[in-house]
Amino acid sequence: MINSKAAVVAIGLLCISVSVGAQHCHVALRGYIREASSNETLAFASVFVKEVSRGTMTDDSGYFSIADLCENTSYTVEVSHVECAHFTQIIQLKENTTLDFRLVHDAVLKEVVIVEKLVAPPPSQAQNVVEHSDLEAARGLNLTETLKKIPGVTLLSSGGTIAKPVIQGLHGNRIAVVSDGVTLQSQQWGNDHAPEIDPYTADIIKVVKGAAGVRYGVGAMAGAVILEPSVLREKAGIGGWASVGGFSNGYGGVGAGSIDWKPRRGLVAFRLQGTVKRSGNLRAPDYWLGNTGASEFDFSATVGWKKGRWKQTMTATQFAQSFGILRAAHTGSISDLDSAIVSATPRNNLNYFTYVIDRPSQQVQHNTLKYKVDYRFNDLWKLTTQYNFQYNQRREYDRGRRSVIANDKAQVIFQLWSNTLDVALEHLPIHHWQGGIGVQAIQQLNYVTKGGFIPDYLGWGGSVWAMERWRRFPNPWEWEAGLRFDYRGNHITTTGNANNNLDKRLSFGNVSGSAGAIYHVSPALTAKLNTGYAWRPPHVNELFARGVHHGAGRYEQGNPDLQSEKAWNTNLSGEWEAPNLSAQVSLYRNQVHDFIYLNQPKDSIVLTIRGPFPVYFYEQADAVLQGLDAQFSAKIWLGLSLEGRASFIRGYRLAHSAVSMPDIVHRDWLPLLPVDRFQYGCKWTFFRDRTTLKGASFVRIMATTAMEQTRIPMEGLTKAAPSRFTLYSLEASHTILVRGRGASPAANSGRLLEVGLNIQNLTNTSYREYLDLFRYFADMPGLNIGIRAKYSFG
Amino acid sequence: MNNSKNRFSTIFLLVAAASAVFLTGCKKDKATENEIITMVVVHLTGIGTAFDTEFAAVDADGDGIFNTIAPIEIPTNSVFNCHLHVVDGPLTDITEEIEVENTAHLFVIKTSGGGLSVSDLNTDDNGAPFGLESTWTTSDAATGSVQITLYHEPTDKTAADPGGEVDFDVVFPVKVQ
Repeated sequence: MINSKAAVVAIGLLCISVSVGAQHCHVALRGYIREASSNETLAFASVFVKEVSRGTMTDDSGYFSIADLCENTSYTVEVSHVECAHFTQIIQLKENTTLDFRLVHDAVLKEVVIVEKLVAPPPSQAQNVVEHSDLEAARGLNLTETLKKIPGVTLLSSGGTIAKPVIQGLHGNRIAVVSDGVTLQSQQWGNDHAPEIDPYTADIIKVVKGAAGVRYGVGAMAGAVILEPSVLREKAGIGGWASVGGFSNGYGGVGAGSIDWKPRRGLVAFRLQGTVKRSGNLRAPDYWLGNTGASEFDFSATVGWKKGRWKQTMTATQFAQSFGILRAAHTGSISDLDSAIVSATPRNNLNYFTYVIDRPSQQVQHNTLKYKVDYRFNDLWKLTTQYNFQYNQRREYDRGRRSVIANDKAQVIFQLWSNTLDVALEHLPIHHWQGGIGVQAIQQLNYVTKGGFIPDYLGWGGSVWAMERWRRFPNPWEWEAGLRFDYRGNHITTTGNANNNLDKRLSFGNVSGSAGAIYHVSPALTAKLNTGYAWRPPHVNELFARGVHHGAGRYEQGNPDLQSEKAWNTNLSGEWEAPNLSAQVSLYRNQVHDFIYLNQPKDSIVLTIRGPFPVYFYEQADAVLQGLDAQFSAKIWLGLSLEGRASFIRGYRLAHSAVSMPDIVHRDWLPLLPVDRFQYGCKWTFFRDRTTLKGASFVRIMATTAMEQTRIPMEGLTKAAPSRFTLYSLEASHTILVRGRGASPAANSGRLLEVGLNIQNLTNTSYREYLDLFRYFADMPGLNIGIRAKYSFG
Repeated sequence: MNNSKNRFSTIFLLVAAASAVFLTGCKKDKATENEIITMVVVHLTGIGTAFDTEFAAVDADGDGIFNTIAPIEIPTNSVFNCHLHVVDGPLTDITEEIEVENTAHLFVIKTSGGGLSVSDLNTDDNGAPFGLESTWTTSDAATGSVQITLYHEPTDKTAADPGGEVDFDVVFPVKVQ
């Protein structure tokens, strides 16, 4: 055992270059990297042998192995763990050797720093992480826009202001959005309700594709979007960043900043973060998109406290957004809708620029309060308790007579209060098994102020789960299995103007399970197979919706007899990760039993006060969604690399051929399925700052081709699917190390200025997206030039 | 040690207080208004006759669908003054309000079948069609229907598609007898 001094500061990512040299030596060095005082193993620490320019990173259990070293040769081994000064040790090997390296903390702090552990190892489902450069390039855009470069992820939008993520063809209540360990509880049942998340709060954003119900609960039937903030400061002092950006389309501006402070004395660390955004009407190539302005103000405050075995964090966040709904998309009746659809230019359009947000508009507010406490029993076991309160409020403003729109009153206010308690007992590898068990309790109250499209309800639920993962380095296999049971109960009280007392009690319960295997074929190549069973209860709107959905120009009728939706999702993915080539291919099949969808039987019309509307009924049938997502990035010459991404999806349901013959079924395509999509281009990395490893400067030109959707359900289509289009984009980013006057290089090390350029729709092409619900009314926005600057320090 | 604990609890309380402020600091307005037209009344008074009857389309339960639409039964070969009334919510006559905002509203009255013709729609303050009042003329006995549509904020009152949004669109059966 070798003791050495080194510092362990915080978690992050460290890139290790691995190059294979031709050696004729066969001695291996392996062992664990441990934190000296707690003796806890450290995952993702790097071990590098200088003489042979080879290294590795410890796995989840803190284990590393470097093969093919020579006997009786002196090697300089460098061990480091993120952003800290690494330590070196000279060793000589005579045979295969197991050595445990112990990292002790920087003497100045005199406090044991227990490095944050991931809740569980990365999933065996296909997972994509938004590249750091893509995350920075998307700063100022909404969460969904940030995700759109990931193959298999598309946007379900309502004009330029509202977008929801679609993972492998499914969206809304079928995917979970988890920010800082808190699953967003909002009103995702509406196609025009975007997730209430500020992407500026996240340091890492990733997407888990496939049934993730065991890890993330009933909402994660088809996948999850995970946002992780950076960890609080461990070292005394002040750090943070400030960012500004501007966009030519809509003359928008965004400012955001974050400041971290850890006092010299005490065990507390703080963070304050905020974002302000404002933009006016967007412009399509041929006209202004009337009433598409938006404004947003978000902030969050975090305080963390750490001592010995205890760790506590408390976070409060607010997301507040107000945005206009495209005026041309507002229709009063089906005849308005028909006129709008046939109109060559947007009907009732306000063809000028303004920052004013007029009716129809929405105001959304989301508050989260989170308190989390971790207690470590010993090196292996940890108990986490997390409570969170969420309040979601949607105010929808409609057009109307002067008395109706007076006093800035909303036509309908949807409010949702949620209380969630999570308790998890987790352990680090015991006989190579790592995992945990947990329970969850949730309580919700939904209240709709007038205009009840959905009824008021009280919901409650409980869950128990267990998950374990086996990995024995260097065995190439990893196994994972999880099981979960969820119960959800609802008391649906009243609907409409409280004059229709429903008083219905419904409950749903089901098991979710997942099993996965990972096979490390070689250091570069990994194969993953995951199969999972997940479910979700029908949402109250699917059960009890009754009324005209104005944006969509249809009357929706819920069905109180709906059963839970159950999905059997299997995905097989292969990942190749090498210095010159990285590639990922994943194949999936999602078999959904009792898939809930909106169906319009022919000639079903309801005569409302605003005229006749087609009636859509919530129905369920078995459905299958399957497809392929692929991406690659290859370095071809010097700093030049080629990139490509593709996603294909096919989805159908079983439909009855005729009412008179209920036993005869045929396949019908599912509505709102993403089109086949390709992204391709090249990236030139012309300068790389080796001291930070982050923020490499680059220029990238990409093209996106979206095919025409030809697989459309036979009924309910009101306008032909948009034709194929190709859009071009150009992105550039440059990072400058800022040097203060007379300051030492060490003091300057954290000061970076990143400037970026992001041009979308470079050729100002007029196009419409199949998954844009406003494609009936207007084109998508045209050319948009965005510039940004971000200064980070400390 | 004790100091740091105290400081922590002070900070904790401050954060809790601050969050309590922002969590409750949102706007409170429970009195939202919704535009739900619940009744459309066609008031016909005979010119030179004693005929004076109201025919109503009523949404009794406020679900956005007219439960009853009274058939308009009127004598042959007569002339009537038609005055429309619109009722919103439980019992708010909004006819006057529509009349004040006459340039932002348009009633379109279309007949089909025989026996009835509609003319002389009144005009708004700009001289464009408005239609709250009109003249109805019957001929020989026949059955048909009359469709009355109220447009809000029409962009062009004389166009086939006036633009704006439809506030209501109702078809009354007509029996000229």
